[in-house]
Amino acid sequence: MPAISVIYGKIIYVMSTVAELKAELKLLNAEYAKIKDVPAEKRADFGKQLNHKKQAIMQKIADAEAAAENDSVEALDITAPCDINGKQPEFLTADFGSKHPLMSEFDRVIAIYQSMGFDIMESRQLDDEFHMFDSLNFAKGHPARDGYDTFRTEEGFIPPAHTSTMQHRVLKAYKYKLDEGKAIAVAVPGRVYRNEDVDTTHEHTFYQCEGVYVSETCTLGNMLGILREFFEKYYGQKLNIKTQPGYFPFTEPSLEFLIEKPKALGGKGGDWLEMLGCGMIHPNVLKMAGIDPVKYQGFAWGGGIDRLVMLRYGLTDVRYFESAKLDFLKEFTC
Amino acid sequence: MLISLNWLKSGLETDHISDEELVKLIGARLVEVEDVIDQTHKYDKIYVVEVKYCEKIPDTHLTLCKINDNVAADNVERDENGYIQVMCGAPNVHEGMFAAWIAPGAIVPQTFGTDEPFKIGMRKMLKKYDSYGMLAGLDELDFGDDHSGIVELDPEIAKPGRTLSETFNNLNDKILDIENKSLTHRPDTFGILGFRREVAGILGQKHESEDWYLEPTQKFENSSDIKLDIEIDKELCPRYTAIVFDSKGDTEKKYLDYDTTILARSGMRSVNKIVDATNLTMLAFGQPLHAFDYDKFVKVGGSEKPKIIVRAAKKGEKLELLDGSTVELNSDDIVITSNDVPVALAGAMGGANTAIDEKTKRIILESATFSLYNLRKTQMAHGIFSEAITRFTKGQPAGQTKAVALRFADITSEYLEPLALFDSQEEEPEPIKVELNLSQINNLLGTEFLSSDVKTILENVEFEVEVDENDNISVVVPFWRTDIHIPEDIIEEVGRLSGYDNIKPVLPLHATSDPNPMLQLKTHIRDHLAACGANEVLTYSFVHGDLMKKVGQNLDNSYKIINSISPELQFIRQSIVPSLLDKAYGNLRAGHDKFALFEMNQVYPRANGVDEDGVPQNSYNLGFIFVDKDSKSNYYLAKKYLENLLSNLGVKYQIKEFDSADKSLNDYYEPKRSASIYSDGQKLGDLGEIKQKVLREFKLGQGIAAFELDLKAILSNISATTSKDFRVSQYPFVSRDVTLSVPLATEYGSLERQIRAIFESENYIYKLACTSIYRADGADTKNISFHLDFANPSKTLEKAEINAIMTKVESIK
Repeated sequence: MPAISVIYGKIIYVMSTVAELKAELKLLNAEYAKIKDVPAEKRADFGKQLNHKKQAIMQKIADAEAAAENDSVEALDITAPCDINGKQPEFLTADFGSKHPLMSEFDRVIAIYQSMGFDIMESRQLDDEFHMFDSLNFAKGHPARDGYDTFRTEEGFIPPAHTSTMQHRVLKAYKYKLDEGKAIAVAVPGRVYRNEDVDTTHEHTFYQCEGVYVSETCTLGNMLGILREFFEKYYGQKLNIKTQPGYFPFTEPSLEFLIEKPKALGGKGGDWLEMLGCGMIHPNVLKMAGIDPVKYQGFAWGGGIDRLVMLRYGLTDVRYFESAKLDFLKEFTC
Repeated sequence: MLISLNWLKSGLETDHISDEELVKLIGARLVEVEDVIDQTHKYDKIYVVEVKYCEKIPDTHLTLCKINDNVAADNVERDENGYIQVMCGAPNVHEGMFAAWIAPGAIVPQTFGTDEPFKIGMRKMLKKYDSYGMLAGLDELDFGDDHSGIVELDPEIAKPGRTLSETFNNLNDKILDIENKSLTHRPDTFGILGFRREVAGILGQKHESEDWYLEPTQKFENSSDIKLDIEIDKELCPRYTAIVFDSKGDTEKKYLDYDTTILARSGMRSVNKIVDATNLTMLAFGQPLHAFDYDKFVKVGGSEKPKIIVRAAKKGEKLELLDGSTVELNSDDIVITSNDVPVALAGAMGGANTAIDEKTKRIILESATFSLYNLRKTQMAHGIFSEAITRFTKGQPAGQTKAVALRFADITSEYLEPLALFDSQEEEPEPIKVELNLSQINNLLGTEFLSSDVKTILENVEFEVEVDENDNISVVVPFWRTDIHIPEDIIEEVGRLSGYDNIKPVLPLHATSDPNPMLQLKTHIRDHLAACGANEVLTYSFVHGDLMKKVGQNLDNSYKIINSISPELQFIRQSIVPSLLDKAYGNLRAGHDKFALFEMNQVYPRANGVDEDGVPQNSYNLGFIFVDKDSKSNYYLAKKYLENLLSNLGVKYQIKEFDSADKSLNDYYEPKRSASIYSDGQKLGDLGEIKQKVLREFKLGQGIAAFELDLKAILSNISATTSKDFRVSQYPFVSRDVTLSVPLATEYGSLERQIRAIFESENYIYKLACTSIYRADGADTKNISFHLDFANPSKTLEKAEINAIMTKVESIK
């Protein structure tokens, strides 16, 4: 076995080097005792030199140990299907497998929007001030910006606090549809972030889905129609809806959209769930994306996905979502 | 913001509507009402009484009192005069005073609505004195924090036996807790006047503001003794109005008054007549006021010609505030100065140098409005959160500063005499006019309003509206609606005040949509891996710098969050696998011995650069790890997952020597037991076992294997299905097993490639499976066995052909 013995030889060689180095370190440590014989004014230098040497030896020991460990690693045939004399690998039992409930919900939401004729564009996870605020008609320094508790990077980039950060891009990317005489209808699911302490009902990382619709003739009544249709498909039943006035700089009028708690969630009538914020797209937002706000009008909305999942499964602690705990995930096996 | 429903309803016609419905309408058409605090029974059984007799109990702080309640209370014992005995510990109790008495059976208002409401009864004091109920202090009535004595009522209004509630114009109230955020754009609604105007509009009633508000007139002559100039920077301070007053006697409050109760119901506390008047004015009209000591102001300025100068603060300039703290100002702050010497941090707090005290003779009342952007920065920089700055940061209308200042003068005329008024603005600016057509309204909302409907809706909230025969609508915007500029703003008013819920939902025709390939890919992968027993996880996009160090990633390749919640969330991650490794230990500890985790998410290594918008370019990655507590080698397991996935997706791939060219991302793989995956020369990702050293950092045992794939690269290499892959033979298949003995160093992959080449050159349909790789103890060769099924698609294979092809296979080295 020439190959193996070479490896053994190397290990022995390396090991002896480590032993030598450790002996050297021991001697060096003993040197420190001599510092009391050194004149006071030279002690600092003396100490510095010793430290320097010590660090060098420690580094050598670490390198040698790493090299030894590295050498002890046996290479394998990366192209083979299994180990020499080994079993053929087998998948885990299918029963163990699970999709993340948030992602299943994502897929479900996307499928409904697609069935309603919406294109889908995924939201970014790192964006800038322009897309997050400026392009959405937030005046510079406007207090409304505070409500979003945004994170910022050293360069001023922003992990977006809402999927609305994609509105400007959506409008620009799909403007051609208007030229073709069609409507812009796009849903934008994505991960968003807010600088918030985590507890059972708050997460700094969560998911939203944005909707954007623009045409020559669409109305607020159409918006309510689309939103009601979405939630009726989602819950598989007819629903009562209502609204409350809201305020977002990028829509005018702005509303909060509520549905009467569906039977599927144990609703008995009279309980209302706030599902999302919505409104008619502010003319400035259209203008900034190069769409003529006199000719075209549109509406947009955005709501949380985490909440839909919590309601669906009766979950009470949002912190499970990003915990990667199998005990939680296995509740959602396929 | 807390709003007393009684105060709100005064001046409105609300007899026909229940409070519940009214609140519902407010919620649907104006603002989110977070809570309704029901105080309807908070002041039940609390009476005004006259203290008829007092007797100090020696060596105690107690006084035995007899009170006259005009026989209003029941379940009490009365003396021959009909008076009730109550013990009182307050030093200010005295015969002849009128007090508030909490009768037995009543709940002490201070504890009303709390978890432990305190119901008062008859108490035996000092073991021998019966005491019925309680003479109440300001704190017990929940009107203030003062506990130094009991409240005294003005004999002018006090009638023994009357309830306290009646005495103060109905304390049976409901308090609306308003979500301020949803009124960020409506400064006018931060006062009862504006809020009430909206509610009138919602109820379809015409609201009419009083003349003093719409056209303020000064009823006094400016005294020639008072000199004051005003100089403002209009960007920072659109308008500054000031009135100088002379005080006429005591401003302390002797008696409990209505204002104290309304302040309390609005979440504020009574201080003295002047402060209360400024606060009430603010609550009523949304206009914060501030009072300076005029004489101190003049002295601080040190000039014969006193002048209010409003300017940006100088960086580093210092100012001692009313509360005794000293703030260092920056150039975003606005300061009020006396001849350039700062005397107040505008909108936030007055300076100590001009504070009102007991010696104050003359005051300057400030009624002004400031740049909300600057004040917001002031609020953040100095952490000042008050009712006043909350209002200022909404941008109070400049149109009302003079009216409100004069109103203040009216309210305080008993104890303050106005000497002179100064205003930075001489004439009211032209109001904003918005023109639109009825069709714009109906086209945007999907409604069928008539012009006359629109006119009524808007006039109810005091817009001036003119309509012509072509349904052109011309709207003059009242000065307090600083949020209205464009036709859409008017459309919002019409839709909102008439009720969005009256708009019929109509579904437009569906458009047609295109699938999103990346999302489709992810759904496909999710379904596939979960069906193979793996668990999908989500982990944070933000990671600890230590996590990256553990896996040998370069911190400089990550974007760093400057305001992260904790160090654990400081960097934006470069790849997924490290996050998965971080989650393995917890799951092992929880008793899961064997599992596979995967996550698909965006990552933003800085090395990706920026896209055409100048924002960081993302990668879509799939990370996967396989953990088996009992196995020291899992490379082949991870590889099986990877290969199976790629085949399933229809990606042609090659497994090649591990690429360590860019160690910054994948240095955690053990190079001798790792590979890199390519498709047509494009790298798809890495696959391999994690280095021992790295696993130790995560408290993990040997052999954990992982892969990470670039999903954009995968997407561009998914080939359209070729028919060649799906050939079906009409002729029988032949099965053969073959074992090749080769040197240890020979790669399995080269053998497989050669076998495939043989069958493909014959254009056979075939299937190949490796059944074992065997090495005898000590041997320097290994035996690799294959099972082969093959057929010729155009005819039945004959023995000679079979032998010929097997000979070729067996000769492979």
